[in-house]
Amino acid sequence: MPVTNEGFEPVIVAFCCNWCSYAGADLAGINRMSYSSNVRIIRVPCSSRVNPSFIIRAFQRGADGVLVTGCHPGDCHYHSGNFFTRRRLSVLKQLMEYLGIEPQRFQVRWISGSEGAKFAMVMNSVAEEIRRLGPNRKLRDVR
Amino acid sequence: MAAVIGWRKKDFWWQSPVVFLEDPADAHRLVWDPFTIYSPVKFLLDWQERCNAKVGIFVKGCDSRGINRLLQDKRLERERVVVYGLPCGGKADAEKIRASFPAKEIKSVSLLGEQLVLAVGDKEERIAAEAYLLDKCLTCRHPNPVVYDQLVWEEVLPRQKADESRFARVQAVTSMASEERFAYWQRQFERCIRCFACRNTCPACNCRVCIFDQAEPRWLGKANDPADTLNYQIIRAFHVAGRCFECGECERICPAGVPLQEINRRLIKDMNEAYGDYEAGLDVTDQPPLGTYRGEDPAGFDES
Amino acid sequence: MKRIGVFICWCGSNIAGTLEIDKMVAAAKTMSGVVYVDQNKYTCSEIGQAMIRDAIKEYSLNRVVIAACSPRMHENTFRKTVVSAGLNPYYLEIANIREQCSWVHKDREAGTAKAISLIRTAVAKAAMNEALFAVEMPIIRRALVIGGGIAGIQAALDIADTGFEVDLVEREPSIGGRMAQLDKTFPTLDCSACILTPKMVDVAQHEKIKLYTYAEVEKVEGYLGNFTVTIRQKARSVDLQKCTGCGECLAKCPSKVASEFEEGLVQRRAIYTPFPQAVPNKPAIDRAHCRYFTSGKCKVCQKVCPAEAIDYAMEDLLLTNGYGAIVVATGFDIHKLNDYGEYAYGKHPDVLTSLEFERLLNASGPTGGKILRPSDGKAPETVAFIQCVGSRDKAKGNPYCAKVCCMYTAKHAILLSEKVPGSKAYVFYIDVRTAGKDYEEFYNRAYEECNAGYIKGNVSKVFPDGDKLLVRSVDVLSGALLELRVDMVVLAASVDARADAKELAKKLAITVNEHKFFTEAHPKLRPVDTQTAGIFLAGMCQGPKDIPETVAQASAAAVKVAAIFSKQSLLSNPIVAEIDQRLCSGDMSCMTVCPFNAISEQVVEERRGRETVSRKIAKVNAALCQGCGSCTVACRPGAINLKGFTDQQILAEVDAICL
Repeated sequence: MPVTNEGFEPVIVAFCCNWCSYAGADLAGINRMSYSSNVRIIRVPCSSRVNPSFIIRAFQRGADGVLVTGCHPGDCHYHSGNFFTRRRLSVLKQLMEYLGIEPQRFQVRWISGSEGAKFAMVMNSVAEEIRRLGPNRKLRDVR
Repeated sequence: MAAVIGWRKKDFWWQSPVVFLEDPADAHRLVWDPFTIYSPVKFLLDWQERCNAKVGIFVKGCDSRGINRLLQDKRLERERVVVYGLPCGGKADAEKIRASFPAKEIKSVSLLGEQLVLAVGDKEERIAAEAYLLDKCLTCRHPNPVVYDQLVWEEVLPRQKADESRFARVQAVTSMASEERFAYWQRQFERCIRCFACRNTCPACNCRVCIFDQAEPRWLGKANDPADTLNYQIIRAFHVAGRCFECGECERICPAGVPLQEINRRLIKDMNEAYGDYEAGLDVTDQPPLGTYRGEDPAGFDES
Repeated sequence: MKRIGVFICWCGSNIAGTLEIDKMVAAAKTMSGVVYVDQNKYTCSEIGQAMIRDAIKEYSLNRVVIAACSPRMHENTFRKTVVSAGLNPYYLEIANIREQCSWVHKDREAGTAKAISLIRTAVAKAAMNEALFAVEMPIIRRALVIGGGIAGIQAALDIADTGFEVDLVEREPSIGGRMAQLDKTFPTLDCSACILTPKMVDVAQHEKIKLYTYAEVEKVEGYLGNFTVTIRQKARSVDLQKCTGCGECLAKCPSKVASEFEEGLVQRRAIYTPFPQAVPNKPAIDRAHCRYFTSGKCKVCQKVCPAEAIDYAMEDLLLTNGYGAIVVATGFDIHKLNDYGEYAYGKHPDVLTSLEFERLLNASGPTGGKILRPSDGKAPETVAFIQCVGSRDKAKGNPYCAKVCCMYTAKHAILLSEKVPGSKAYVFYIDVRTAGKDYEEFYNRAYEECNAGYIKGNVSKVFPDGDKLLVRSVDVLSGALLELRVDMVVLAASVDARADAKELAKKLAITVNEHKFFTEAHPKLRPVDTQTAGIFLAGMCQGPKDIPETVAQASAAAVKVAAIFSKQSLLSNPIVAEIDQRLCSGDMSCMTVCPFNAISEQVVEERRGRETVSRKIAKVNAALCQGCGSCTVACRPGAINLKGFTDQQILAEVDAICL
């Protein structure tokens, strides 16, 4: 049963690809869209740079949620990067859920450089979902 | 050939470990019995590094796909190996035999068709083999070697129920509710002592310097932290995803009884459903699912 | 020994207005490796940059973190700043505390806490930054221009005039594009063909330009300075060396098909030149409609050709060439009006699109330049021009303004009054947009001198009324409902990107927006660049625009190309993958996923137990590597790492955020 703590604010690590989703995040800023401050962005050149080990590491170090965002498939600046992201992270996500990790904790979303509104909306909805789930206890290092 | 890798008999009836014979005169030491289980394939990696000569190796159906795995991963040169293929009807599980018979009195165990013949004390017992085979053999779909220079004897038929039972345990675990599943895996993983026997025996785990052995960056910690064990289990499964050929050695060798096949096969099932049926270790020229893509691939997440 | 300097920018009030700078300064001082922290109102200004330079020198800083706007804004600026202070530009790291913090978080406390976290993350990454160096790459000093309309023609001429070679590829049998279809151009009423054809001839005759007509780009590989392009030279079935352009074949060909150039108003033959001033002025056989190719009979053109130039056996040729830069100038299509049945288009012959009307105006068009009703061949006395058909429409059609229609309709109204004396034009508009030089004056001429009636109101329906057409509308300014009986209706159809723009974009690895116009690198400041280095845009393919803007863009793209070709060599991207020989098993998983074929096998020799052994490992071509990092995840032991975004750096960033 998820434990909800009053006033719990999750820490969410978001890996954003430089060409699309990081630009989308900037656009959300340029348009002064408001979203919850729980998310911390790590810039990567392509979503295919995101190693599953980074994701697990984030959870181990205490992140409550991890988000990977990239260009829409077909629009990758490097042609095929996000096609590999799609396969790799689908496999990882299904594995984590099989092992009993809540599906909302690790999410993958496609956000283009012109989708500032979508970026803000995704940040808000992911933060809200994880707020409701409560702190990450299952994957967090004890020591 | 500078050497031949096969199995020999050791002191006890359940021991048929791997042997390296360098003198043709020792050939009589080679055995084939219900306990010639250990996959000899990974020893090829050490052998290749140490000498330039050819080596011969005896392989069962499951082992032979390990050879293909090494070939496809460019960790083995085909010309350096002479492969003797041994079609296999299954190997016996010493634990299951000990559970039904007084272990100290067993003198020998052999397989005759579908029957296990035991010499117990003065008597000879004949029992239906199936109940005493290793779990991994019950779901074996490739008893015949898929790569060889010489097939030593006739091929056998695959086990009838192997196809149906392949994903049975995966389905059983999947049918649990999410929290129940987490509790199940917690119970399994808390026994994991990170001995890395699974990684050591697996032919798909053939990297010269395994990621889990590296200190900089330290991808995996040393301490026995449950989250770190989960880290190991997730990444190990991910690294073999699309490359695992279900030999089952990892699960069999695990001293803590972690049901690793339930994880490996879950990923195989997911990828078959998403990207089309694929079996690793059959064709060294094919493309494993995580090394390729299609524009229309489905995603395991919301793509909106 | 890392000596990190942290510079926190106020960005005027953009950051300082919402975040507590002093708290951030205090926190930065405690971060591991940080020896100097300062703040500045405008770090990107001369003063701000000087402050950084001075601090680097005075405090012997060897890493710099700037907490300010997005790196997509000023990373290059600040890289130059640190270079001027003697540091390698890759020792710089930027924390985005504006677009991704102060501008999006209202809560001062939460925003400041996040900013501190972002700075800590950047410091953790910067601590691991290494000096990175670009590799010099050769440049193929030949440009490829895709599209032979006015944009492509202008770009090709400008590039060729700077002294570099250009290949111009056009898929129609002739260059000229849409401008060749026009009669006169606004606001000067210059005859379009008269100003276009000299340029077309220049292209054909320029010693630096190689013209490929009836050809398309099939495949594009490579990168800036070194593109490899496969061009499909389609089989014209006419040998251009032998053909004299006499036109005998055209006259005798029995097959007729709707003429694309004439917008379907008349037919052309299966063997055809698109228009009289075509360059090259030699025909091509449209095999899909040729009797010989469809049914094996005929061959009349071959029989009558005095030069033996017809070659039915001709096959498509695939040519592969190297180019240093590419200009995309593929133009536009007229919006299809299938959804506008209310205007009776397609149902009544006297309802035309603006481009069809343009063909009527043109002296070499279907009516010899006379404006005649297609129904009965009589001159129309009243013509209704309906604006914005398929434009500015969120419900159906395009939401954007097509930009050229207000002006060409004014032109049509003026030309109508000249060609049909006593005629009356009614223009139904939403707004009249005349934003160019001399445009407003041109529009004034339409209603002041040429008696055009401008009615502000949407047309709800057009339907036949006897031998006329009834146009039902509202005059928004007076409030009156109108019904006008007119002889002809002209619809100002919107402008669409080419239907296959997305496929071409994929071939070039450039992007299109939701309307399939190619995306420019920055809408204000980089209108002809794309995100892909070495590929530029010109003309309508980037968005609706008129001829002066198209020509300006084409020249701009040409300068960008010339700038590349004028360099001695190009510097590669220094953010490349690198193999750790110690860890590499040689399984080449990296090679399998690399989109740029940047990875290959190499043999290395190693000492092992007093012996030398050789084995195969992977190798990265730093000139080809674009730095995506896909290989780093394919490699299970992590033997391939990405400089500038190493595993160690990203793990350090994760730790900095979470701990």
